[in-house]
Amino acid sequence: MKKSRASKGTILIISLYLVMPLLLTFLYSIFTEWNEVLPNGLTLKYYKEILLDKYFLTSVLRTMLISAIPFILCTSVVLLALYVIIVYHPGWDKYMQMLCNIPYALQGIILAISVLSLYVGAPYPLSNRFVMVVLTYCIVILPYIYRGLKNSLDTVNAKCLIEAAQMLGANRFYAFFKVIVPNILSGISIVAMLSISIVFGDFAIINIIGGSYYQTAQMYLYKKLFSSGQASSVIIVVMFGLTLILSGIVNILNKKKVRNRED
Amino acid sequence: MAYIRFEHINKYFGENHVLKDINLDIEREQLVTLLGPSGCGKSTLLRCLSGLERITSGRIFMDGTDITDIDPRDRNIGMVFQQYSLFPNMNVAENIAFGLRMKKLGKNDIAKKVSEVIGMVELSGKEKAYPANLSGGQQQRVALARAIVTRPKVLLLDEPLSAIDAKLRRSLQQSIKRIQSELGITSIFVTHDQDEAMVMSDRIHLFHNGEIEQSDSPISIYTNPRTKFAAEFIGHYNIITAAQFHKITGGTDTVSENVAIRPEAMEISLTPHEKKENSYQFQGIIINHLSHGNVLRYNVEVSGISLEVDVLFRSFYLYENGQTIFISVEHRNCLPV
Amino acid sequence: MKLKSRRYLIAILPFLLLVLFYELIPILMIVIRSFQPEGHIGFTFDNYISIFTKRLYQQAVVNSIFVSVISSVIGIIIAFFGAKATNEATSRWRSFFINILNMTSNFAGIPLAFAFIILLGNTGILVLLGKEAGISALADFNVYSVNGLLLTYIYFQIPLAILLIIPTFDGLRREWKEAVLLLGGSPLIYWTRVAIPTIMPSLLATLSVLFSNAVAAYATAYALLANNYSLLPIRISEQFVGDIVQRKEFGSALAVVLMLTMVFATLINNYFVKKSRGGAAR
Repeated sequence: MKKSRASKGTILIISLYLVMPLLLTFLYSIFTEWNEVLPNGLTLKYYKEILLDKYFLTSVLRTMLISAIPFILCTSVVLLALYVIIVYHPGWDKYMQMLCNIPYALQGIILAISVLSLYVGAPYPLSNRFVMVVLTYCIVILPYIYRGLKNSLDTVNAKCLIEAAQMLGANRFYAFFKVIVPNILSGISIVAMLSISIVFGDFAIINIIGGSYYQTAQMYLYKKLFSSGQASSVIIVVMFGLTLILSGIVNILNKKKVRNRED
Repeated sequence: MAYIRFEHINKYFGENHVLKDINLDIEREQLVTLLGPSGCGKSTLLRCLSGLERITSGRIFMDGTDITDIDPRDRNIGMVFQQYSLFPNMNVAENIAFGLRMKKLGKNDIAKKVSEVIGMVELSGKEKAYPANLSGGQQQRVALARAIVTRPKVLLLDEPLSAIDAKLRRSLQQSIKRIQSELGITSIFVTHDQDEAMVMSDRIHLFHNGEIEQSDSPISIYTNPRTKFAAEFIGHYNIITAAQFHKITGGTDTVSENVAIRPEAMEISLTPHEKKENSYQFQGIIINHLSHGNVLRYNVEVSGISLEVDVLFRSFYLYENGQTIFISVEHRNCLPV
Repeated sequence: MKLKSRRYLIAILPFLLLVLFYELIPILMIVIRSFQPEGHIGFTFDNYISIFTKRLYQQAVVNSIFVSVISSVIGIIIAFFGAKATNEATSRWRSFFINILNMTSNFAGIPLAFAFIILLGNTGILVLLGKEAGISALADFNVYSVNGLLLTYIYFQIPLAILLIIPTFDGLRREWKEAVLLLGGSPLIYWTRVAIPTIMPSLLATLSVLFSNAVAAYATAYALLANNYSLLPIRISEQFVGDIVQRKEFGSALAVVLMLTMVFATLINNYFVKKSRGGAAR
């Protein structure tokens, strides 16, 4: 049918446009020079160079740390707040929603400078750069975590389940954390991927607040950007690969969970 | 004292007076139904007994103890909900075992009780299934098993069969009744379906606008509704004003505004009936008929007033539209409401 | 519910503290500081006056809005066709495309800037190709200018925009198109008279998201521009970090201006949404 051919065409064109820069970056990383239209010298030496660089590895580790900690922290904080709201004060939900939507408007730089200027002269531990970065990231990913958890909660019909658990002898705390939470955590894996990739890809906050105090992979990349093109492209490929692996793992976990249920 | 007693129960939702000074006694080991249309307060009373709703004033007693201020989880009451409320992350056995785990029973003990009750609800073999893979009827049976496995003192069922299709509903009604009498658990069933109430209960309490309109056995409430609302809600009564009744029957003994007559209480025939002291007799014209399975419902006009008459489909004879027929109804079947 | 003790409220405390200290108070401080003169307490509009009178900052505001509007509009037009195609494609192509979109939506900021430098920088592949083939548009392309910026911005708007409006397209019922055809209309009529007006509210809402996304974008600008083209996010960060003297108050005012552009964009957007909703069936 003509329609599906046209749609296939559009999809292909857009996909090509989107994939091309990625592809090029990858190609750039495996050739020694590219000063003319076609590159020269297929090699993996840049990969060896970067992957064995101690500074790079530690910066990647730092990136992972700085992605994982806010995610765990923010999820716990939101779950606890949702416990109070769902079980005791459903009317407060609209306020929580408002508070969780504000960060959408506080994109990167605005939040970064706000936090920095406020806490840079403050007493320890508030002035610690690591603390600032982690807590700022918590706010950055807050809308996504709230939305993801809330959606799962709505599908699970939390109020009814808690009542059923109460009639069976459970107190509400147990009911929430042993009955409701396991059911919404499956929804959290998608949110996990989203939040971690947001933090992975952030530059504004880490550059402005972290600066030279806490060098993550993005900062490392920026430094290399002007020295070696090939090295930079390797870093990009590696980091991108990590993000892909992460989302791949989450997808597999999701599919496994669904398959288990359907047995 | 009765096993469960509600004393002067009042409940407000904001300005809304949902339960108006309810006084109700429920005897041990009975299956009692709270019946009424949506919004009449029956579910609310049930939830007050369970502890999931707090009452505004009054006291609730169970087995001699005042439970008004006790937490739901300490009341030892089992509950089956309309939406089943099975825990999706647990399989059938784990769902059922939940209450037993809360009581901190041993693993072997739990396993024994769980398999015993799974047998009772006829779900053997489904222990490892997850709720998402069960039909509505199966889920409700799991919910029932989960509620009774801890041998609670009282079992509450809040419109448990409303979401289940008609055919399946019958067999579940039987199962619930069977289990209830086997275990001897005092049970309260809430429904808006009067057929269901008739089938299930030892006693029916008819609710209307936050008050109990009538409390009786199923047969009594069916044959003797005391108010217009009761007559309209239970069965398929003909309700006519006193004036209309007078016009049809020439009867003078009307003590109330309306008269209710059951459709099946009227006999019709092509020839006049033998004159009887205790019956009214009059003529009418067949307008049309509807078949309801084994019952033929005739729409009959008597002196300009429309009445419905039910006849069991015993013979193949059908009265034709426009035919004149003779109707006889006993005095005692014309109820003042 | 038994409310004998309010102990459970402790559970909501971490959330409240987090939001208070890292969301509400920082923003409040920014707004307050924007009205303070440099170095001491007081109240002044000087910071804002500087922004709107000094050429460098005027440029920054204008440029930011310009780049954001252009990239958002172009982005959403491309996204329209992309989402339409997704909606009409078979499920295999659809999941293929959505995977690509999810994957490339992560590709932004520095890595993206770098990729475009490879493509269109001074010794970029396409530039070299252009020189060989004599296409001056390519050969003379300067990626470190507003054009390069636009290209990169459009790039990262596309996946986001498409992913956001795909659900809207899914909401278009096939029966509507069939009804139009049966009543004698053409596919074009369907699109212009029925479909687009129906999805217009979400298109506009997405446009607003795209605008906010672009106007606050920092990393890409940082990597590409150095000092060639004045943009708000760069000017803002300069006031807080770096070699230039720190001017927290002025920087705060710039940040407030940035936030205001987003607010205005949303308001204008809402106005158009209301107007379009009035006419649409939904």
